[in-house]
Amino acid sequence: MGLLLDIAVFVIVYYYLKSGKIPYVRRVAGLDAIEEAVGRSAEMGKPVMSTIGIDGFNYWTLAALTILDHVARDCAKKGCRILVPTGGSDSSYIVRPVAEEIVKNAYKLEGKEEDYRPEDLPFLSGQQYAYTGGVVGIIQRTKPGACIMVGGHHSEAMNIAETSNMAGALTITSGTYMGNVAVLACASDYILIGEETPAAGAYLSKDPAQRASIRCQDIYKGISIALIILGTIVLNFGSNFFIQLLSS
Amino acid sequence: MSQILRSKELNLIAMFLAFLAVFVPYFVNVPALDVFSTKLITITAITTAFTLLLAIYSQFRRGFDFVRRKPRGWIFKVYMMTAILLMLLFALGGLETGPYHWVMYAIITPLSSVNYGILAFYLASTCARAFKARNTKSILLILTSLIMLFYQAPFTGVYVNLGPLGIYLADTFVMAAGRMFLISVTVGAIVFGVRVLLGQEPSVLGIGREE
Repeated sequence: MGLLLDIAVFVIVYYYLKSGKIPYVRRVAGLDAIEEAVGRSAEMGKPVMSTIGIDGFNYWTLAALTILDHVARDCAKKGCRILVPTGGSDSSYIVRPVAEEIVKNAYKLEGKEEDYRPEDLPFLSGQQYAYTGGVVGIIQRTKPGACIMVGGHHSEAMNIAETSNMAGALTITSGTYMGNVAVLACASDYILIGEETPAAGAYLSKDPAQRASIRCQDIYKGISIALIILGTIVLNFGSNFFIQLLSS
Repeated sequence: MSQILRSKELNLIAMFLAFLAVFVPYFVNVPALDVFSTKLITITAITTAFTLLLAIYSQFRRGFDFVRRKPRGWIFKVYMMTAILLMLLFALGGLETGPYHWVMYAIITPLSSVNYGILAFYLASTCARAFKARNTKSILLILTSLIMLFYQAPFTGVYVNLGPLGIYLADTFVMAAGRMFLISVTVGAIVFGVRVLLGQEPSVLGIGREE
């Protein structure tokens, strides 16, 4: 069943990418605000801080890297300094070179290679709270215009978001874990919840086919809702058909 | 050669093959593929370990730059680089149980705990800002949060049994919202994974997206 669902998602995404149909995609305030955040920082002459989390390579980090790509391109275009502190765990070592490459590439693609500053991408520490101290310190010293905190952030997310808020930065975060969502929603100006972070790359892309692939998520969410409702009804009639179907 | 190794196509092919090697054994029982998959994961772990060298290099490059420019607080960079060198020497000299552990347990762990403790103040300041009764929704939010607060941390000596209500809220609304969050994240992650495999998210490979 799982394999069939995976194959189906592959086919649907491929279909939407190739068809070029532009389905309705709801506005995501947090993602729309990224451009505003970079523009605001550029106008104020302040840097943008973009963090990619403290995890190794998982889907949160990968999604954060796609957001970093857009932020770095936008910063390079608008002549805004971008700060990307990395680290926070042993597994974060391997993410750092990719983040560095993305920012370097962004400046290269915008034809502003000379503006790229490697010292703005410090590796702070492999320890979670040493990293947090470093990020908080950078925010307090540089007073960024915006803080875009996405990727796998754990308990340190609150320290960073609240410090960013106190520094007067426009704070955009992503609620990676259920426990983080409530507090980050209070501490941030904008928050990306659930599938909004993984969908960011396609959403921020100007390519209609890319945006259309988000439609697949809606289809699968619809299927999930239908299964939940049907499962509840069927279970109340004494059948465990859906439990057996989904655990196969 | 470097151009070929950095090409998008080669990276995508390597990624797709690695994906198949790990994905297929979940559904099809082929012992040889299982062994290959385990080996691939081991190779990835070893490669990851080597990136530690890159991290140390990065720390020293940035540290020396700081010391050369001498901005405010540059002396801390000297402390940091000295500490890295000392820890390396302790570890390489087989002194893990002595000075290495002392630094871990007497300095790093307490400092991390202090940082963790500060979270309480950050949470309090966020709550103070967020829990302002501006409309009906926020009043409901405050009431719910008060119920959960008294359920989790009741006043000593004052018996207000909010247990059943707290458990009811956690088992119904919170669990329902949590599951909705999980389903949405899982669906998003699967679709994102497919886009990565189809080469629509080149940035995850460190390759910029042409616009």
